[in-house]
Amino acid sequence: MRSIDWAVLVAALAYFVLYGMWKGRRTKDLDSFFLANRNLRWYTMAFSIMATQASAITFLSTPGQAYTDGMRFVQFYLGLPVAMVVLSITAVPIFHRLKVYTAYEYLEGRFDLKTRTLASFLFLIQRGLACGLTIYAPSVIFSVILGWNLNSVIVIIGSLVTTYTAFGGTKSVDNTNFQQAIVIATAMIGAFITIVYLLPSDVSLIDATYVAGKMGKLNAIDFSFDPANQYNFWSGLIGGCFLAMAYFGTDQSQVQRYLTGQSVAQSRLALLFNGIVKVPMQFFILFLGAMVFAFYQFVTPPVFFNPVEVRKLEASPYADTFRTVKEKHEQAFAAKEIELKSMIQAIRSEDDRATLLAEERMRETQASINAVRAEATSLMRANDPAANTNDTNYVFLTFVINYLPAGLIGLIIAAVFAASMSSTASELNALASTSMVDIYRRLIKRDARETQYVILSKIGTVFWGMFAIAFALYAGELGSLVEAVNRLGSLFYGTILGIFLLAFFFKKVRGTAAFTGAILGELVVLYCFFFSPIAFLWFNVIGCAVVVVTGILITTFMRRQTGA
Amino acid sequence: MIDHDDLETNSVADDPPPIGRRWSILYAIVLLNLALLIVIFYIFTKVFE
Repeated sequence: MRSIDWAVLVAALAYFVLYGMWKGRRTKDLDSFFLANRNLRWYTMAFSIMATQASAITFLSTPGQAYTDGMRFVQFYLGLPVAMVVLSITAVPIFHRLKVYTAYEYLEGRFDLKTRTLASFLFLIQRGLACGLTIYAPSVIFSVILGWNLNSVIVIIGSLVTTYTAFGGTKSVDNTNFQQAIVIATAMIGAFITIVYLLPSDVSLIDATYVAGKMGKLNAIDFSFDPANQYNFWSGLIGGCFLAMAYFGTDQSQVQRYLTGQSVAQSRLALLFNGIVKVPMQFFILFLGAMVFAFYQFVTPPVFFNPVEVRKLEASPYADTFRTVKEKHEQAFAAKEIELKSMIQAIRSEDDRATLLAEERMRETQASINAVRAEATSLMRANDPAANTNDTNYVFLTFVINYLPAGLIGLIIAAVFAASMSSTASELNALASTSMVDIYRRLIKRDARETQYVILSKIGTVFWGMFAIAFALYAGELGSLVEAVNRLGSLFYGTILGIFLLAFFFKKVRGTAAFTGAILGELVVLYCFFFSPIAFLWFNVIGCAVVVVTGILITTFMRRQTGA
Repeated sequence: MIDHDDLETNSVADDPPPIGRRWSILYAIVLLNLALLIVIFYIFTKVFE
């Protein structure tokens, strides 16, 4: 990184913190600290909702995912607009009219205290651990690609975000998220324009798109129904809708964003805007990755994108073998370049037969490149069985560092910081509001002064910030547990969603039935997690179904007993 | 404590949407936009594959 990149990065970070503190300078009570006086306009909430969902990993991993696996991941988001409509009709008016601080507060009025407390605890466990990972994941990538000290990056991101979140609460978070979303969008558009500019002068954007498409990277929609296929139209529309309903309807880090609206209409607009913009936005980020792939068809890519693993191999007894693998990779790439030119020529001349033949030869050369890459990863595993042989997360940042102009590199790194900070800020804010409103104020001290609650909320935010930093600092030593924690959301989302579905749609179900259903649902999910091979995405469906069915059965049984 | 039953008997009239006369029109726009995107993505997949 050059001085101008450092200047852009430092200026952006300083701006985020100072702007956040300035916007939140007038927080006197819980209403202002946790709900920004319920005074925000739809566009601030909309961008805050999007910035909260899009963590740093979204911008680092998603282009890499298109590079390696194509654009089919976009289908994962197809259920989101449907969920936005459902929540606008159901959750938004209920939460607004009850003037709740947290989603779980509503559960006490609808069911009882124990159900509210259970949902709050499930959220605190899940989000408290996930918050650490939101900081850890991009920090690892920065440390690998840029050689920065991992612990320093974790402490910097964590401290900055905790500072303005604790100082100004929700008002700081939402307004800063809005600014951060703009920086992220500008950086991504800048990266895209630069990629198009960096393509060889005789290759147009359309040519590059054809190249990516012919190599199977533009597989945006797949209507085939295959339960084993993680990303197809049906799993995206149905499973994605389920997941989005749970995330936006029951996760306080999102609910708190639209609770700050001036009115039901403003909050609904924020969600509906997300429903319109989110899918094309993900498509754009994936297309950016597909264009990075197209770019690397004309410029030799590294045989493996994680430089730390490459350096480990170069310093090992396998160094000579690896050198041979690299030479084979260069030869395979040179062979592909020839086929690539003939394929572009055939596409331009609209000669279908020649295009098909060239495409087939391209696929063959690409297969030989993939085989060489597989050789390299086998060597890495032979050298170190714990080696990370998945380099998806490092593709985009490697490209940024090596090919983007000075200034834009700083802006993109600032955008990744911004993405990490926006997600973390919303999480800390939500953890503090749930700890304060659902636990402390409800269960421990109900009659404190408002200023005391605000001070304790700030202390709570700092506590959760320190917890997240501490967890992130030790996450690297947890090994496979990190993946387990990453999947933690699916262990609890189904149960929490089930409770809320009972609350919204089954009016005869009361507290004990919902609570029993939730306990049973959680036990079933934990059983599946520990003792079954079921893929974790299904836990959301299983947990939710058990809660709803149990709640209804118990209600029916109790009504028969009482003759109601 | 918040009572859910109060909410049902004491409901507040919906705020009108800023665009379109009814919320159902806005919901339809979101869903139609999704349908249109799916069609565009499908054509995109087929044209460039």
